[in-house]
Amino acid sequence: MSHLVRTPITQALEEGALTRRELKAFMSRSDGPALIRLAGWLIVLSMTTFAIWASLGTGWVIPAMFVHGVVLVHHFSLQHECCHYTAFKTRWANDVAGNICGLIIMLPNRFFRYEHCDHHTHTQIHGKDTEIIEMPQSYKEYWLYLSSYPYWKAKFSELWRHFKGHLTPADKRFVPREEYSTIIWEARLMVAFYLIVFALSVYFQTFAALWYWLIPVVMGEPVMRAIRMTEHVGRPTVADMKTNTRSNRVGPVWRFLCWNMNYHAEHHYAASVPFHALPALSKKLDGYIYTEPDGYLGAHKDMLGQIKHTSP
Amino acid sequence: MTEPHWQDLIALDALEPDDVTAVALGRHRLAVYDGTAGISVSEARCTHAGADLCDGYFDGKAIECPLHQALFDCVSGRALAAPAVKPLKMYQSRVRDGRIEVLLPK
Ligand code: FES
Repeated sequence: MSHLVRTPITQALEEGALTRRELKAFMSRSDGPALIRLAGWLIVLSMTTFAIWASLGTGWVIPAMFVHGVVLVHHFSLQHECCHYTAFKTRWANDVAGNICGLIIMLPNRFFRYEHCDHHTHTQIHGKDTEIIEMPQSYKEYWLYLSSYPYWKAKFSELWRHFKGHLTPADKRFVPREEYSTIIWEARLMVAFYLIVFALSVYFQTFAALWYWLIPVVMGEPVMRAIRMTEHVGRPTVADMKTNTRSNRVGPVWRFLCWNMNYHAEHHYAASVPFHALPALSKKLDGYIYTEPDGYLGAHKDMLGQIKHTSP
Repeated sequence: MTEPHWQDLIALDALEPDDVTAVALGRHRLAVYDGTAGISVSEARCTHAGADLCDGYFDGKAIECPLHQALFDCVSGRALAAPAVKPLKMYQSRVRDGRIEVLLPK
């Protein structure tokens, strides 16, 4: 018999955590929930944009840009949902939305899709998981990661490398040969887009892109780093999905912003289940997966507790 | 390996209606689709990284891989979306006396 990879969902079905019919119902797609959430998203973005405009020239502009930045960096959550083709039923709508989000947060959509596939194949396995965030061994490492400096450094060098037409052996492990040129041209188009924004800003002598986009994204990114850490950091670095991933119980505002990606273990079990069905899937998998009841803060308390024990 | 010949697979009414059903036959693990174009049969193994397509989402025309959401046409086997690039191996099938038969080597 041809060798099948035993995925987390196959395991969950075999262990009776849910049935095929239940899974099929959870996986069913619709454009409606994403369109409704996008409408809310645009209202929130308009409000935070207005807050910056209204506070320009005052000290309030700093918190306004920070809040706007926290919303902007959550375009990652929508992009992530789109890269699984679960945000919208209409498949191309996921590509369109994913690419727009990618431009906002400088994350090439196609490349991210391939990289993220590998993360789902090798979740939490050292040397194989392309997105693994290593457990900090000291407070210094913890704060350095949260500063986002290592993240931006890695992303800028990745974009530059692809722009120049170079893929590393690590990239080639998960990007199919047929797609090398797509990845290179994606990076070039992104750089061209940023250069056009820069040229228009100079031409119209405006700092709008800085105030309403770039500075807020940089200010908000540590929040996204903190959230991304809660998904796996501090959990065992083993192949067992029951333990290597953390779901987080968080309030409705965070759930709205992260497109329900706080249900992270549920998502890893069944990556074809759209964001709007994750709360129901979570009820179904209650007790089967690992959930942090105190949410993001609880997850960071766990990490800091582990650092306290290992730190010299 | 012998020449392909018709082999009994599964009763038609044992299929998951409008869905994909996993069936083991000798060394093969097959995916049987009850789709809008009728019954079709493919290897169950995703050509990207080997996940079991029978645990994926089937919309009547295409099967989506449960691991990385590649998409395959369930009649032609064509890979419709990344990360899969290789087509799915399809097998000819027919219905005889309420049972599905498939053409493949023993
Ligand atoms: S294993 Fe099927 S898309 Fe990767």
